[in-house]
This record gives sequence, C-alpha cells and structure tokens, in this order.
Amino acid sequence: MEYKRNSRMRVSEAKLAHNRLEKEKLVDFRKIVAIIQKNFIVIIRDKARILPLILFPVFMIMIFGFTSGNTPKHIPTAMIAYDNSMLSQKIQQEISNSQILTIRNVLSTEGEGKKMLDSGKVKVLIEIPPNLQEKIDNGEPAGITVIVDESDSSVANTARQTINTITNSISKDISVDKILHFQSSVESASQKLQNYNNQFLNKYSLIISKAKSAEASLEDANKKISGQAEILDNSLEAPTPVIAPEIKPNEANSHFDQTYLPETPAYISAKGQIALLKQSSNTIHLAEENVHAASEIAQKEDKKLKSIQEYQSQKDNVIEPVNTIKDFTGYKANILLKPLAYEEKPAYGTGKRTIDFLIPSIIALTIFQGAVMGMGRAVAGEKRDGSLTRVFLTPTSNVTIIAGTLLFYIIFEIFRSSFLILLAMNLFQVKIEGSLISVFLVVVIYAGVSTAIGMLMSSIVKSEQQYLAISMLVSMPTVFLAGAFFPIQAMPKFLQAVAAFLPVTYAGNALRGVMIKGFSLATISYEIFILLVFLILTVGAVFLVFKRDIE
Amino acid sequence: MKSIIETKNLTKKFGTLTAVNNINLQVKEGEIFGFLGPNGAGKTTTISMLTTLVKPTSGSALVAGYELIKDDSYVRSAIGVVPQSFSLFPELTAEENLEYIGKLYGMKGSVIKERTAYLLRTVSLYEHRNRISGTFSGGMKQRLSVAASIMSNPKVLFMDEPTTGLDPQSRIAIRELTRTLNKSGITIFYTTHDMEEAEKLCDRIAIMDKGSIIALGTSEEIKHTIRTDHLVEVELESPSKEIISELKKMPYVSSVHQTNGILNIKVSQKERIFFKLSDFFNKKKQKVLEIRIKEHSLEDVFIHLTKKDLRD
Repeated sequence: MEYKRNSRMRVSEAKLAHNRLEKEKLVDFRKIVAIIQKNFIVIIRDKARILPLILFPVFMIMIFGFTSGNTPKHIPTAMIAYDNSMLSQKIQQEISNSQILTIRNVLSTEGEGKKMLDSGKVKVLIEIPPNLQEKIDNGEPAGITVIVDESDSSVANTARQTINTITNSISKDISVDKILHFQSSVESASQKLQNYNNQFLNKYSLIISKAKSAEASLEDANKKISGQAEILDNSLEAPTPVIAPEIKPNEANSHFDQTYLPETPAYISAKGQIALLKQSSNTIHLAEENVHAASEIAQKEDKKLKSIQEYQSQKDNVIEPVNTIKDFTGYKANILLKPLAYEEKPAYGTGKRTIDFLIPSIIALTIFQGAVMGMGRAVAGEKRDGSLTRVFLTPTSNVTIIAGTLLFYIIFEIFRSSFLILLAMNLFQVKIEGSLISVFLVVVIYAGVSTAIGMLMSSIVKSEQQYLAISMLVSMPTVFLAGAFFPIQAMPKFLQAVAAFLPVTYAGNALRGVMIKGFSLATISYEIFILLVFLILTVGAVFLVFKRDIE
Repeated sequence: MKSIIETKNLTKKFGTLTAVNNINLQVKEGEIFGFLGPNGAGKTTTISMLTTLVKPTSGSALVAGYELIKDDSYVRSAIGVVPQSFSLFPELTAEENLEYIGKLYGMKGSVIKERTAYLLRTVSLYEHRNRISGTFSGGMKQRLSVAASIMSNPKVLFMDEPTTGLDPQSRIAIRELTRTLNKSGITIFYTTHDMEEAEKLCDRIAIMDKGSIIALGTSEEIKHTIRTDHLVEVELESPSKEIISELKKMPYVSSVHQTNGILNIKVSQKERIFFKLSDFFNKKKQKVLEIRIKEHSLEDVFIHLTKKDLRD
C-alpha cells in the first residue's frame, strides 16, 4: 500500500469538516439530480436490463402491427386469355392494379394452368373465355372462370373477394356504358316525337297568330292611308269665290245670285286623289274585318280541338310518354345502377387500423411493466446488494430518495414512450390525432403511479425472488386488462369491475382518447383526475411503507 | 480520553426475540475498538443501531457527540460504514461510485473531485478509477468500499467484518489501511471473527454473546479475567506411571495426560509454574528435555466465554 498525501489533500479534508455538519434537507434537489444521474448510468450500463426494456415494446408493436388486420398481397396468379378484346385487357389491368393479385404467367391452355396450380407456383387461375366482349356487347350471358387453390384459406378467400370486387366493378362500368347509350338514343326519339306533337297541337295557333299579325298590318296601313287623305284634304285650299252671273251649263237658272267658285284642274285632281285614298281605306278596313273574322274562326277551332277526345289521347299517348322518357334520360347511370350506396365514415380521423388502437395500450402496458421491473432492481435489488443501505447511511432523506427514484423513472418512461411512438409512426404510419403534450402528461402521471406501485411492492418484500413473485401477481391483471390483448368491453362483468380499480384502465383510455380520437385535455380530465388520485394514494403509501429500517 | 460512542441500556427486540439486551459500552476517541461475538450474538444489530439503520427499542446512545435517535442525520454525516459485503453500485466505475456517495453527503463538486482522487490513491485504486466496479476483485471492491465509507471524512468508521472472504494479501492490505485511517484520527469500530486479527489490530475489545457484552477491555485484560486451566507441555527423557501419579497429587495440577511421550499438564495457576515444575522433576530425578507453557489465545478466551456449541 502506498499512501500519497500532500498538503493540498489536507486542505480538502479541512473543507470537509464544515460539510458534515450540514442539516439533512427533506427535499434536496442536488441529491435528487444525483440519484437520477446515477440511475441513468446504471440502466444504460446494465445491458441485460436496458435491452429487454427497449425491445419488449418493440416486439409487441411488431407482433401486433404485422399480424393484425393485414391481408395477403401479391398472390401469384396465372391468366388464360382466349379473348384479346379491350375488355379482356381491362380485366388484366384491373387485376394488376389491385396489388393483391399478381399475374405471373399468361397461358394459352387450361391444362398448363392446372399444372401450375398443382405445383403451387400460382394460387389463382383466371380464364377469360373466347368472344367475351362480343357476347357482352350482344347482351348474351358471359363470365370469367376462376380456380382458387384452397390450401390456404386466407389466401383463397382474399383472392375470391378481390376477383369478385373487380368483376363487379367492370360489370358496373359495362352497364353504365350501355345505359348511357340507351339514354342517348331514346332521347333523340323523344325529341322527334315532341317536335311532331308541337306541330299538331299548334296547327290553329299558327293561323291565329298569322291572322292577328295580318290584321295588325292592315289596320296600320288603313291608319296611314286615311291619315294621309285627311292631311291632303286639309291642305287643299278652296278657290276664291267670285260673284258673277255666270251661268253653269248644267245648273242654268238655279242660282243667279250665288257665289261662284272657279275650279282649277289641280284642285280637281287633288280632290280626286283624296276620294281615291278614302276608298282604299275603306277597302283595307273591309279586308281587316275579314281577317279578323278568319282569326275568330281559327280560335273557335282551336278551342274545339282542345276540348275533343283527340287532344286528350294525344296528351296521354304522346305527352305522358315524353315525360316518362325524360325521367329516364335525366337519370345518372351510376345512380340508376346502385341507388343505395354503402359508405363507411371513419369515426375518428381517417383509416384507423388495429395498430392505431393498440399503440396506446402498449404504451400504457410497457410503462407499467418497465416501472415494475425497474423497481425490482432499484429497490429490492439494491436492498440485496446493500447499495441501498449505503444510500441510507448518507444524510439523505427518504423523501429525496423516493423523489429521485420516481423522477428518474418518469423521465425514463418519457424517453421510452417517445421511442415507441416514433417507431409506431415510422413503421406503421400511426398518427397522433391529439396533442403530444396531453400524451406526455398522461405518460408522466402514469409512470409516476406505476413507479410508486413498484416501489411499494419492493418496499414490502425481503428479496428479489419475493419481488418477482409479487410483481407477477400484480402485473397479470394489468397485462390482460390493459386492452392490448382483449378488448375490455368483451370481458365478463366482474373483470370489468376489476379493471375499474386498475390505473392502466384510465391511462389506456386517456391515451386512446388523445392519440386516436384527438381528445383535448378537457375531455380526458376525468381520467387525469383518477390517475392523480392513484398517484397521491400510491406515493403516499410509498412514504408510509418505505422505511430505512433494515431488519 | 473522551468517549466517541457511548451507549446507555441500548436494547433491540424483534418481536419476542431480544437481539440486543441493555448494552452499555464506551468507545474512546481515536482507538480501534474490536467488537467480537459469535454469529447471532447481536453484533450486526448493534452496529445497525449505532449507524441509524435500525431504531433501538429502548435505551440511548451518543455517537460522535450526537443523540442517536434525535440527531440521526447528524450521526450519519459523522460516521462511515464499511459493510461486510460489497455495497456499492456495480454498474458504476470506482470514481463514479465515490462521486455519487459524495453528492449524497451533500459535498461540493470541487471537493468531491479532490477527495475522490485522494481516496482512490489512498486505497491504491487510482489506476482503476474508470473501471466498472462490478468487475473488481474482492479485495479491490473492499478497498473501494473503505474509500466510499470515508468519503465524508467521518469521525467514526464502523467496519463490519471487512476482511471476511478476502485472500491473505487483501486482508493485510485492509488491516494496514485500517491502521492508517486510525492514525489519521478516525476512531474505528471493528467487527471481526478473526481473533488473531482482533488481538493484533484492536486497542480494546468487547465480546458480545446472546445480546449482551460479556467481556470488555484490552486483549490482555480479557485474557486475565477468565479463570481457566493453563496447559503446560513437558517432555521428559523417560516418563513413568509413578511420576504421572505423583504429579497428579500436586495441588496446582488438575489433570495429566500422556501423548507420544509428552505430558500435557493442566494447571490451575500460571504463576511461577515453570519453577514449580522444574523443582518437582528435579526432586524426582527426572531429566526434563523441555517445558512449554501454552499462553491463552483470545480465541481460547472467546471459546471459553461463549462455549463451544455451534451458533446459528
């Protein structure tokens, strides 16, 4: 042994003399940090413990993620196409697009196909008969033949379902095309019928309207002519009277003393024109009256027509069918084929799968598992090793020891949950609908509760073996009632009653609420409250049970 | 010298079992105090009480000037304990262990650094400071344990069978270390099964049995307190039956046995026994080749005091 001692060291010892008289604090943050640091180093160096802690949840989500709700993909398929029409190509295209079936071979005989099926090279054989398109175009019954390898029922069912879906979809497309074709030809027939009908129904109306317009033109012409005649009449100035005994050859001896109007040839001509215009006006007026009379006759005939049987039958036989045709052609072909559609709307977010519902349960489960397993080492194991005794020998209060241990596991669980969430997001495209802060709040409280339960158990037991036994007893209900393996609703009433006393139930509900349903903190306040009650109870119990007495 | 540990009727009962029964002992400042006793005598319970790990049922004690029950946290900062088995964190390095313990003692960072380096040198582990302590040999672990126990520079160091299970070199090293620490002013409360060790190392010794202190003093004092036969081996040139029967008649002789020509004589008094026996054989005209007076070892005393029956 060599003892190197120098003056510097003595100085440091002197400093220590002051230290030792410091009163032990109930909550000493420096020591809490030291405990957390120590636990981190311990857990990181303890490969036999850290690996299972990390891998346990990874395995769980892998197993659940890859096994739940996944359908077989790329089922090897052979195709025998006797028909090389557009339709046949479309069928092949749709099958390739489905991703569920993969066409490995295109064969020419059924015999070849059967051989491949027997050898297991393909699981599905699809046969497209000759002249498929032709038959369908002619409206004859036609179909494809499918042979499925039954040795794997899940593959067989998936293949059957997929082909069925594809066939239905193609059938529908064909039907839609046909209906559209019918609709357009019927529509043009309907148009012709309507035109004819219009002509028939309006045969008098035309006369009436023509007569009315003729009447109007005549009246107008009459007005213009008579107006012109009047203007002319007024503008014509009478000749200046002359009192002269002029004897008219025709009216001799009649009026000797009468005035005498000397008439010029222009005057006489104007007078003549006026008279002629007045005569024309009268003639036009007469024509007008005639046209009017004709129009009235036509109107009477129209009325008569509308009241007779023929009109009624015309209406029944032509108008009604035209309307019916309109109903038909107005329909959308898709709706005509499938008037009642089935559409499922996801309750929470889009496309939630089993894995989305499992992740919250797995997180709740691993937190509990991790804390319980961890506490086995942290308290029961350190008790065995005596390292806990060593800590008890220092002036460090129980509160500080418990707080340090609790905080470490809470921080550790935040890391572990984050890792798990990241893994689920990347591996299974799991989306968190709610806020991450809410998720971590639940994680923090629940990690606290779980750690406290672990500490409680390890404080009671005398050895790690005992701890293992008691932790199995406590973990069992939590593992099976966490909702990861079986839905809680499917359990018998008494188990549901047991679940009501387990913190995992509330942690699971809260995490599912936030992660899947996008619940806000307010919506999960009940679960948070219950978890806080659990936290207070369990941590309180730890303070009561966790004793320094090493007996 | 004043007492650094003083117990008054210190008692601990576990249910109906009285593990420690009204013990009163004083450990003087600066001494190495040996604490002996068979398994189940109550040694560990006593240490646990004195180190605040177990609460006494009744009685009281002053440790390093502090009331055991009332000022337990002060007691904790004034003492160090080297437990029997390794009780540090096997996942941490030697240095990390000491630093962690230092933090739990509330020491300042700079002080911890200095003190850790100093103690690792003291226990010859400085070269191994960055090694994971779980990989250490038994002796290294125990040395690290000692270093951890004196991290806070305690006034009293309790050592609970620190050499048990170690190889001879490591045992010597721990003993040397104990002496060095004692010389630097630390009072040592040393528990051991090894009587030779106790005799060599300890200034004073207490022997505990069935919950009580049955002997207390220096090893010489204890050896004197017991009244038991001493053994004298005498080698004669030609021992005869007559001589043996004559010898048996002497007042100070309890018994005589002959094995391989050697007489094993048990005598009740050790005083002047050499002269008395020489005188006797001279008178009988017997040629004495050798007279060996066997000294009592502490172990004899121990066995005598605690009887030979096997303990649990």
